[in-house]
Amino acid sequence: MDGNKAAVGRTAGLYAGAAVLRLALFTLFPGLPDLLTGRVEISTPVNSFKRLQEGLFLYNHNVSPYDGGVYHQAPLLLPLFSLLPSLPIFTYLLYIVVDLLSADALVKIGDSGEAGSSKLFTSPRRGKRWSGVVIAAVFLFDPFTIATCVGRSTSVFTTCAILHAIAKAISGAPFSAMVALSFAAYLSMYPLLLLPPLILLCYDRQLPQRSTKSAVQFAAQNVAVVAGVLAALFGMSYLMTGSWEFLPSTYGVQLTLSDLTPNMGLWWYFFIEMFDSFRSFFLAVFWLHLSSYVGGLCVRIRRQPLVVLTLLLGLFATFKPYPSISDTSLFLAMVPLYRHVFPLMRYTFVVAAVVMYATFLGPAFYHLWIYAGSGNANFFYAITLVWGLGQSLLVCDLTFAVLRDEWEVERPEMVGKEIRQI
Amino acid sequence: MPSLISGILRLRRDPRILKLPPYLSLLCIVVGVTWLLLLPLDDYSRRTYISENALLPGQVHTYFGGSDQNVFRAYKHEVNALQEKSNLEVNDKLESIVKGLGLKVGRQNFTYQSAGRAYAGENIYAILRAPRGDATEAIVLVAAWKNVKEEFNRNGVPLLLTLARYFKRWSLWSKDIVFLVTPDSTAGPQAWVDAYHDAHDPRKVDGLPIKSGALQGAIAIDYVQDHRFESVHVAYDGVNGQLPNLDLINSVVNIAGGQMGIGVSLQEMWHHNDKYPDRLRTMLRGMLKQGLGLASGPHSCFIPYHVDAITLQPYGEGWQDEMAMGRVVEGTFRSLNNLLEHLHQSFFFYLLMARERFVSIGTYLPSAMLVAANFTIMAISLWVKSGYPEGQPAQPKGDAAEEPARTVTVERQLFLPLGVVTVCQFLGVIPLYLFNHTTESLLTPALAFFAALSAALPHVLSHFLTTSYHPSVQQYQLIKSFSLLLLGMFLSSLATLNFSLAFLVGLLASPLSFAQPWPQSTAMRITSTVLLNVIAPATVLLVDCLIWGLDPAAVLRDAAFGWDVSGMYTAVVVWCVWWPAWLVGSITVLGQPEAAKAKTA
Repeated sequence: MDGNKAAVGRTAGLYAGAAVLRLALFTLFPGLPDLLTGRVEISTPVNSFKRLQEGLFLYNHNVSPYDGGVYHQAPLLLPLFSLLPSLPIFTYLLYIVVDLLSADALVKIGDSGEAGSSKLFTSPRRGKRWSGVVIAAVFLFDPFTIATCVGRSTSVFTTCAILHAIAKAISGAPFSAMVALSFAAYLSMYPLLLLPPLILLCYDRQLPQRSTKSAVQFAAQNVAVVAGVLAALFGMSYLMTGSWEFLPSTYGVQLTLSDLTPNMGLWWYFFIEMFDSFRSFFLAVFWLHLSSYVGGLCVRIRRQPLVVLTLLLGLFATFKPYPSISDTSLFLAMVPLYRHVFPLMRYTFVVAAVVMYATFLGPAFYHLWIYAGSGNANFFYAITLVWGLGQSLLVCDLTFAVLRDEWEVERPEMVGKEIRQI
Repeated sequence: MPSLISGILRLRRDPRILKLPPYLSLLCIVVGVTWLLLLPLDDYSRRTYISENALLPGQVHTYFGGSDQNVFRAYKHEVNALQEKSNLEVNDKLESIVKGLGLKVGRQNFTYQSAGRAYAGENIYAILRAPRGDATEAIVLVAAWKNVKEEFNRNGVPLLLTLARYFKRWSLWSKDIVFLVTPDSTAGPQAWVDAYHDAHDPRKVDGLPIKSGALQGAIAIDYVQDHRFESVHVAYDGVNGQLPNLDLINSVVNIAGGQMGIGVSLQEMWHHNDKYPDRLRTMLRGMLKQGLGLASGPHSCFIPYHVDAITLQPYGEGWQDEMAMGRVVEGTFRSLNNLLEHLHQSFFFYLLMARERFVSIGTYLPSAMLVAANFTIMAISLWVKSGYPEGQPAQPKGDAAEEPARTVTVERQLFLPLGVVTVCQFLGVIPLYLFNHTTESLLTPALAFFAALSAALPHVLSHFLTTSYHPSVQQYQLIKSFSLLLLGMFLSSLATLNFSLAFLVGLLASPLSFAQPWPQSTAMRITSTVLLNVIAPATVLLVDCLIWGLDPAAVLRDAAFGWDVSGMYTAVVVWCVWWPAWLVGSITVLGQPEAAKAKTA
C-alpha cells in the first residue's frame, strides 16, 4: 500500500516536473514556439501548427479549409482547436496535457511487464526492467518530445492515440484499443499498418472471462470495429466539411506526395528529381516497402507482439513519407521497455553518436542551404540519410537483441558467447 | 586466407590496441596543425580567378573625374562643417543635399541597449531608381559617419555624395542603387539591414519608409585620411565568420590592382611580400578575425543576409586621390551591375593568404576535422575501455583457442556520468548570462569573480562527487568519454559554419583529451590542474588581452554588443561548449576514484 502511494507520488512529481518544464519553455522564451514551429525537422506538411492555423482561419470564415491547398490534416482537429479560447496559453496547456496522457499510457505499458514476459514468451532477463515511471520519465524529458511539444506539432495526438491503443490492448480491452487505433489512423494514415500486431497483442492479452478462442473470429471482430469507427469518423468529417474533398487532401497527399517540402525523410528528394512518368511506380514501391515489414515481423516475432509494435514504429519513423522527430520520440519512448535486452545490443554507442551528430549537423546544413546560400540541398539530404541510418541501425540492433534473447531460451549454453556467422 | 582473417580478428581483441588511441589523438592534433601551416605554400594554395563571367571586372572605362573633383571638394567642405554637429543636424543637412540631387530619401531611428550602454542614432539613406530597371534588385553604397575605430570618415561621406550625383546621370543601371549613411559602423548598418529584410525588433529599430528590391551586393567606403593614398585595404570578414563570395574580392583586386594600378591589401598587412611568413601571417590574422566573429566594418552585418559586402579603406602615402577611389567604386558597381543572379559561382568558404592566393574549404577543412576527430577517437577508446573489468583486460595472448572466447563485459553505470556531463553543460548558461547582462562598469569585477569561480569550481564539484557518489574508475572514464564525445560533435558541426572558431577552440581544448585522474600521484594531479588552468577560457581571455594590450572590459563589452545586436554566437561556443568541457576535464583530473567491485552483465 505504501509502495503504491510512493509510486503514485513519484508519478505525480514526474508529471508536475514535465509540465513545469514545458510551461517554462513556453512562457520564458516567447520566441521559441514559433522558432521551433518553423523548423522542418519538427513541422512537416501533415503536422505543422502553422498550417493548422491556416486551416482554422479558413474554417472559421466558412471556407473549406482544404481550398487553400496548404492544410493537409484531419478535419476533426479544427473544431477541437476552435473550441479553445483564443489566448495562446490554452493551446500550450492542451499540448502539455496530451504529452502527460501519452506518458500515462507509457506508465501502464511499462508497469504491465508485457515487454519482459508476453503470453507466449518469457525472457530469462526480465528481472532487469525499468519501471513504468522511469520509462515515462525518459519519454517526457527526451529533447525530441519537448521540441515537438513546444513546436506544437499535431503528431502528438497520433502519438497519444497509439500509446493508448497499446496500453488498452495490454490491459485486456480490445474494443478500446481498436477505437484508439482508429483515431490514430484517422489522424495520420500509417497507424493502420499497426493493426495486425495490435490484434495479436489484444488476442494474447484477452481477459479469460471474455476471450474468443478462434483467432480468425477475433481478428474479424476487431477489423470490423476499426472499420466501423473509421466510417463514423469519416462520416462526421463529411458532415463537418460538407463534401468528400478532405479525403484526397489528407490521405491523398500522403499517398501521392504532392507536397515536397524538405523534411527529415527520404522521400522528398527522390520525388523532386523524378520524372513524372516514373512517379506512380516509385510511389507504389515506396509504400510497398513500408508495408512489407508488417507481415514479416508479425510472423517471425509472433510470440512478442509488443516487440513487433516497437520495431514497426521505428521503421515507420524512418521510412514514412513525412517523418518528423515526433515519430522518433514515439519510437524512443518504446525502446526503454526493452532495457532487459540492452546488454545484448552491439551498437548502442555508435547509434547514440550517429543520432546526436545528425541532430546537430542537420540544422547546420539546413542553415547553410537556405539562409547562408553557400550550401545546397545535398548537404541537408546527406545528413537526413545519416539520421535514417542511425535509426535503422537502432531498429536492427534491437531486433538482434530480442531474437538473441529468444534464442538463448532454446540454447542456454550459448549465453555470453560471441555469435559467429557461418 | 582464413588464418589471416582469424589473425586479424584476434588482433581485435588484443589489449595492446587500447593503448593506441591516445597516440592516435596526438597524431591527429599534430597533423591538423601541420596541415594548416602547410597551406600557404605554393603547392597547396591556388591563385584567385574570376568565376562569374558576367562580372567582367576592369573592362569598363570609368569616367569619374574631371569636374566631379570640384563637386567633391564642395561636398567635403559641407561635410567638414558638420563634423562636430549632432546626428540629427547632420542628417538634416545630408537630406537637403541628397533631395537636391533628386533622389528619394528615407530616415530610420534605432536604439540598442547592450552592457548598460545605449547605442542610438538615425540612419539616412537615398534610393536611386534605375531609370531602365525594374526595381527588383539593388546594390548598396555605405559610408559610415564614424568608422569602426571611431574616426571621422572625412572623405568617405563626401565621396558617397559625389558618386550619388554622378551615378544619377547614367541610365545604364539595371539595379537600384541605395546610398546609406550611418552614424557608426556597427549598430547603424545592422539596424538598417535588419529593417530592410523585416527581421528587426520593432521595439528597438524603426521600419524603413522606402525600400527597393533584393540586395545583391554592398560596398562600404572608409576613407579617413586627408592626404593622397597608395593602396586600398579590403575588409571582408562578416559576423560569425561568414565571408562574402570570393568573386567580389577578386573583382576589386582586379579593378584596383589591374585596371587602376592601386595596390590592394588584406587583414591589415600593410606590406606583403608574398613570401611564406607574410602569407602565414595573413592567413592567421584572417582566422583570428573569423573566429572572433565580430563586425569589422559596415559590411559585416550584410553578409548573414546573403548579401556579399566588403569595406574599402584607402591607406598609405601615395599619389592616388579621391577620384581614383571613386573610379574603383564606379568600376566595381559597373561589374555588380552586370549580374543576373546572386554571386554563386565562386567560393563562400576560403582562407586568403595574399590578395591573389587562397585555399578553399576542401583543402583547409581536414585540419579542423582532425582536431575535432581526436576528441571522438579518445571518446570511443574510453567507452571501449570502460567495458572491460577493472585491472588489465585479462586476455590470454597467442594461444590456439579454437572455441569462441567468452566475452567478459562489465555493465556500465551510466547514470552518474550522464548526470555530471549534463549538469556541467547546463552550467555554461551561467557565464553566458552573466557576461551578456552585466553593465559595462561591472564587467571587469565580473570577469575577475568568474575567473576565481572557474578556478575553484572543479575542486568543489570534485570533492562533492567523491564524497557523495564515490565514482569508480569506470565512471570517470565514462564521464570523460561523454564530455569528449559532445565536444568533438559540437566542434565538427561548428567547423562547417565557422572553421576558424572550431579550429581555435579545438586547439585550445586539445589537452583535455589527455586529462585523466591521478589517484596515486598528488604531484601529477597538481601539475595537471595547473596546466588545465592555463588553458581555461577565462585565463586565455585575460592572457590575450594582456598580450595585445586590450582592456578585458572593452572586449567583453564588444562581445555583449555582438550578442545583443549582431547575433554573434562566439560567446555560446566559448561558455556553453568549451567551458563545460574544460570543467569536466578539470573534475576528472582532480578525481580520486575508488576500485569498485565490477559487476558482470
